Amino acid sequence: MAWNRLTPAGRALAVLLPVLAIGGALTTVLLATFGGAIAATIGANLPIVRFLVAAVVTFLISVPVAFLLIYMEMKIIALMNLRIGPDRIGPAGAVMSVVHGLKVLMKEDYTPPSVDVPVFTLAPVVVYLASFMTLLVIPFAPELTSMGFELGLLYFFAIGGLSVVGLMMAGWSSFNKYSLLGGIRAAAQAISYEIPLTLSVVGIVILTGTLSLPKIVAAQDGSFLDWFIFRQPLAAIIFFIAITAEANRTPFDNAEADQEIVAGFATEYSGMRFGFFFFAEYVNVFIVSALFSAVFLGGSNPPIHIDVNPQILIDLSALGIGLPLIAGIAPVLGTLLFAAPIWFASSRVKGWQALVAGFLIFGGVSTAAVGIWAFVMLPPVASLIWFLIKTFALVFTFVWMRGTLPRARIDQLMGFAWKWLLPASLLNIFATAFAVLIAGR
Amino acid sequence: MTQQMRPSLDDPRVAIPAESTWYEPAPIPQTERQAEFLTLREGEMFVNMGPQHPSTHGVLRVIIKVNGEKVVDLDPVLGYLHRGVEKLCENADYHQAICYTDPLEYVASLFCEAAPVAAFEKLMDVEVPLRAQYIRVLTMELNRIASHTLFQGWMALDLGGITPILWAFIERDEIVDMLAALTGQKLLYNYYRIGGVNGDLNHEFMSRLGTWMSRAAAQIDSNLALINENEIFVRRTRGLGVLDAKTALKMGVTGPNLRASGVPYDLRRDRPYLVYPELEFDVPTRDEGDSLARYLVRMDEIKQSIRIIDQVLHEMPDGPVMAKLPRLLRPRPGRAFGAVEGPRGVYGTYAISDGTDQPFRMRIHDPSFVHLQLVGPLTKGNLIADTMAVMASLDPVMGGVDK
Amino acid sequence: MDRRLAALLQEKFGERLLTPVRQRYDESEIRVALADATDTLRTLHDDPALRFEMLIDLCGVDTGEEMQVVYHLSSSTSGDWLRVIVPGLDRTSPRIASATFMWPGAEWMEREAYDMFGIIFEGNRDLRRIYMPDDYRSFPLRKDFYLADDASRSPAAGVRNMERAGTPADATAATTLRKSPGV
Repeated sequence: MAWNRLTPAGRALAVLLPVLAIGGALTTVLLATFGGAIAATIGANLPIVRFLVAAVVTFLISVPVAFLLIYMEMKIIALMNLRIGPDRIGPAGAVMSVVHGLKVLMKEDYTPPSVDVPVFTLAPVVVYLASFMTLLVIPFAPELTSMGFELGLLYFFAIGGLSVVGLMMAGWSSFNKYSLLGGIRAAAQAISYEIPLTLSVVGIVILTGTLSLPKIVAAQDGSFLDWFIFRQPLAAIIFFIAITAEANRTPFDNAEADQEIVAGFATEYSGMRFGFFFFAEYVNVFIVSALFSAVFLGGSNPPIHIDVNPQILIDLSALGIGLPLIAGIAPVLGTLLFAAPIWFASSRVKGWQALVAGFLIFGGVSTAAVGIWAFVMLPPVASLIWFLIKTFALVFTFVWMRGTLPRARIDQLMGFAWKWLLPASLLNIFATAFAVLIAGR
Repeated sequence: MTQQMRPSLDDPRVAIPAESTWYEPAPIPQTERQAEFLTLREGEMFVNMGPQHPSTHGVLRVIIKVNGEKVVDLDPVLGYLHRGVEKLCENADYHQAICYTDPLEYVASLFCEAAPVAAFEKLMDVEVPLRAQYIRVLTMELNRIASHTLFQGWMALDLGGITPILWAFIERDEIVDMLAALTGQKLLYNYYRIGGVNGDLNHEFMSRLGTWMSRAAAQIDSNLALINENEIFVRRTRGLGVLDAKTALKMGVTGPNLRASGVPYDLRRDRPYLVYPELEFDVPTRDEGDSLARYLVRMDEIKQSIRIIDQVLHEMPDGPVMAKLPRLLRPRPGRAFGAVEGPRGVYGTYAISDGTDQPFRMRIHDPSFVHLQLVGPLTKGNLIADTMAVMASLDPVMGGVDK
Repeated sequence: MDRRLAALLQEKFGERLLTPVRQRYDESEIRVALADATDTLRTLHDDPALRFEMLIDLCGVDTGEEMQVVYHLSSSTSGDWLRVIVPGLDRTSPRIASATFMWPGAEWMEREAYDMFGIIFEGNRDLRRIYMPDDYRSFPLRKDFYLADDASRSPAAGVRNMERAGTPADATAATTLRKSPGV
């Protein structure tokens, strides 16, 4: 096995397999000896462990989500522009954003000589962290919330506001007038829109009496008419506009206005540092969409509750030895079943191609079947899927706005926030309080 | 005017120590106006929108003196695309000179050919056949529509909308493909000759033209709806960069910029050339003089151009497309000024002939050059973002500005 | 052939015109002396019968013996066009009064004439180079300006003026200054 005669894939395997084997063996030995002690420790500190696991899983999942959002944006805006968008890398260009991520990782890490190095280095970190830490309170499902504590909403706004600090740090430290302008615009915009943002949800806090996000979602249980978007329409509109501004999305993307100040606060950043900003922005879009759907669109609640017939309960243990037999035979039979019509129908399809296609179709069908069973039988899955549907509908709306609208000028934008949104949100608060008072009497 | 200048970096006798400075050495003002520009008051700074910038329409450097975000003064620096076309034309003969003029206003290059051709035809007393005149009008109006559609996309792009420019290019592609079927080129057409055009209309061109005409107006209207009715766009352009009629006349503004300020001056109407006296069309004029008016005037002009094309197609006579001329053209010594109404204004060529086969002087007057002087006065007091909006509404093309 | 315009110009400026009003096709042309240029332009702009309030173009011309400044004026109300040629500028140090007193838009056109010919417009507040770099030493459009060109090594070398590399000392008198008869 000469090293230079191996392909890259072969080299990767040659390194990976021994590592996995040795690592697996070590883990087994360690678990066998210390397993009991570890289990006891976990059991004693369950909340902390649960939190750590939730945090790590959330962090890990957010990166693929960012990739997905970047791809969505490129493709949807392309289709709106009557172009095709990415279509070469992966099926219909789906892997394009991953490739972008890899490219950004492999670029030269260049720090311009005249920047303020500690601030320059930390700025992307601050922005990234501020975005990702807010992921911890998003109520993906009643059982799948990392931190479902009493002050969730307040925590969200507080931590989300820290990204402004990061943008200012980036703008100032870059020793570049464009960056300075971009950073100041970003700060001014974010500060202006924070107030209508927080005030518009006060109406909801009045109605539900709590700042905890899982409880706000639970308060919208029932049919879709209970969603807060119908009970607080003005707040929903204000909130939507404010989160567009907080996420620096068009029409409020002055901080990174391509056409005027090259890349705004991120002009001097390249490579992975820019990647941080980029990813943080898309994760931010996901987060604010998730928040909007949690607070106004009912979160993980389905629009209409349908009582399921629990007859789909399958008792796998009753099969006994039949379980591994079925697990072994079902894929083969399924592949043959789906491959046969393809092979018979077309004379151009060769045997092995039909088998591959059959295997893929079997894979798809069985995943769909398991998915449907999970959706019906496991409440967390159903809740999560409803939540994601609503979130991605919002994300689509943001992408749609980016493709359609031009940019608002910075003074018009701030004037709008202070002169229109702020009084409107105050009006909303008074109206809600008044209505509650009347209804209570 | 002071004579004090820094030593040229090209001069090999001067050794300049390479110092690494973070700041460019302060420029030494050579004129009063420059001295005025270079003095900074409290809170002002220079922002340099350098020659490489996503939004200056070509290579243009604009030094903006800002106080925060408000523009206090503006100094465009030209010359990054200067190719010495006038000098080159003096050393080429008349046919070659026409080829040099194509890349000037490359977006609407048939107009850049039409002006020198008109001047040379006056010098040589050449009568252009009627069919060639109609073909010239047809192709010029098509080029005008292509240029205005591109302007629409550019203007939206400078304001932040990324979709209209792609739709504008779809429209422009159809017209450009049409003209490519006719002339063989997509951008620098090289179609007009002294005494006519280079080749008659062909079947491919006519069929594409027919397809395009059948839905041109509706398509353009639907593209416009995305921008015209957009509140953000309208709010950013209304009342911005107001140019009143008197200032416009004094600054030498012509074309849609002048018509948007209330002066209905159109060369096709006031000093008609080719077959324009026989064609019926309106000259859209608006009174407000702001960026929105300049944008809307150009959109109205597209519709008028479609009308002109319609009439031309109906009235085009048969006949030769090129006058009979000797191979070696020697005009009489004299001077001629040929001007056409281009999509940006009056595009003119002042040709002086000395009896030989090379022009003695060929001066090209480009409207964008004159309009670029306006960017400073019109943007004073507005924000940096408005500089882009004003420049886009004036529609300069740096090829013509820098010659 | 606008007889009306020719008669009007003759009447207004009779003694100042260096040659009679020339007209060909749709153009009219007058020549005035250097000293009368400003007054002529002012009268052309202000006179209610003439009203040439648009300055279409301002350029310089190097005839080989002298320099000229050529103005093209137009009237937005009557559609008349006029060319005003001001000959007689000295080739070694050409100076003329600026037209920016009446048309601020002439500023950049005069800058270009200065940059290309070296004509100094007195009264232009911003007379610096516009196309060439600020420390450039020659005036490119003058007839005695040469570009050392790579084409001088091509098979067609030296066929045209510009392809001959070298300073004016290398070229013969016949090729240095291209003069135009009576232009």
